[in-house]
Amino acid sequence: MSEEQIVTIQNSPASLLETLFGLNGKTILVTGASKGIGQVVARICAQAGARMIINGRNIARLEETLASLEGEGHRLLLGDLSDSAILESVSAECGKVDGVVHSAGVRGLAPMRIVSQQFLQEVMQINYFAPVMLTRHLLARQALNKGGSVIFLSSISALTGTVGVGPYAGSKAALIGTMRPLALELARREIRVNALCPGLVETTLITEDKNWFEESCKRYPLGIGQPEDVAMACLYFLSDSSKKVTGQVFNMDGGVEFV
Amino acid sequence: MRSRDPSAIDAFSLKGKTILITGASSGIGAAVAKLCAQLGARLVVNGRDNNRLSAILQGLEGEGHTAVIGDLTEVKTRQRLLEAADGYDGLVSCAGIAALVPFRMASEKHLQQMLSVNYLAPITLTQQLLYKRRLKGGASLVFVSALSARAAPLAAAGYAASKAALEAAVRSLGLEQARHNIRANCIAPGYVETPMLHELGTAANMDEKIGLTPLGKISPDDIAKGAVYLLSGSSRWITRTTLTIDGGISLPIRL
Repeated sequence: MSEEQIVTIQNSPASLLETLFGLNGKTILVTGASKGIGQVVARICAQAGARMIINGRNIARLEETLASLEGEGHRLLLGDLSDSAILESVSAECGKVDGVVHSAGVRGLAPMRIVSQQFLQEVMQINYFAPVMLTRHLLARQALNKGGSVIFLSSISALTGTVGVGPYAGSKAALIGTMRPLALELARREIRVNALCPGLVETTLITEDKNWFEESCKRYPLGIGQPEDVAMACLYFLSDSSKKVTGQVFNMDGGVEFV
Repeated sequence: MRSRDPSAIDAFSLKGKTILITGASSGIGAAVAKLCAQLGARLVVNGRDNNRLSAILQGLEGEGHTAVIGDLTEVKTRQRLLEAADGYDGLVSCAGIAALVPFRMASEKHLQQMLSVNYLAPITLTQQLLYKRRLKGGASLVFVSALSARAAPLAAAGYAASKAALEAAVRSLGLEQARHNIRANCIAPGYVETPMLHELGTAANMDEKIGLTPLGKISPDDIAKGAVYLLSGSSRWITRTTLTIDGGISLPIRL
């Protein structure tokens, strides 16, 4: 009993929070970190104490992101992950990691009546093949540490019907399909794999079309999401607090009823 | 060591929040109470067992906690919980019962008992909390459901149905209360190391099923950490969701 009390006294709420949801001592790879959700995820993980490896296609913005990260020892790995050679080199250069957030993605909108196979393939290349194959290369190199956590950014569109979103929805649903076998295969090494399914999140990608954006906002009971909301979920899923959570589709959508 | 920016992780803090925890005298509820108190919340804890609940109350960090002893299926217990604080910022509904009863043997009494403890008690409590305006703006309600609500295993018609009823009610409630910025979510645990599970184990051989969990045994603390995420401001956009904490046991199950 007295031993327990000593431990409790040392655990002030602030340091306990750091133990529970912090990422001290962890190295986290975030793709798509030069803008949008990935950029905010990188910043918040760095604030939480992680050593970050950030990937993106735009060198100027990626360097800007890197400079904005709190703490030291962060690195950037430039490159388009739809190129399989770059995919392999990123997995080779990143070294051992404790977590991966696959945030790189494209919108991929087209009515199904006129969609081309080439367009479907491009969307699948970036939204599905890149995160899955990057994970595969990391595993082949034993680069994912025991107790690690992999997060796929899927979407509410993988689970709901929205007009014009066919190519995107298919690619995000494919991630969920592959996640479950992957989670089972990695459980023995205590590596967890989960998919976040956000609804509409405010990024520059979606604020371009103002009318559509304002109409969409009305459908979300808690409003549309901020990149920070996704980043905070990443802290839970990357930290040891979720060490028994794997293979989950986690819905985060402000309570939306009809997307 | 790198200095820590206070903004990110502090969003998980429960400092200054008043939180009601039912079923706090053992298992998941006790773990939730302990962790919430450690993170700075002021608690009202409820349970049926006087001795056990008093011991939990004594062990809580911080000050100003209250224990309300009583059965949540009774109106007077729920009434006392409404009066135990000026208002609540959070609820973690952990009180529940489980029993393995084959469908052919599932009497009306058994089915009524499951529904009354696992569904009617938490839902009527929440209805009263809302009706009597005891929930503050930004409040977060967390209901401990069960993987069984969707997995519906053998001999669980009564239990699984009561938890499925709970999940459905919570989704409807979450939709209605979002405009008041009140959130409602469920946590669906798999097999967690609790006294309840051990009691079930005497009725049937549960070890085999627990052994199926790819990430091994789940402790009540694992559930408590998920509850903190859902209670805190870090999940401010999340409502009408179920967080499944099952160590991967549901992976081969078509839910």
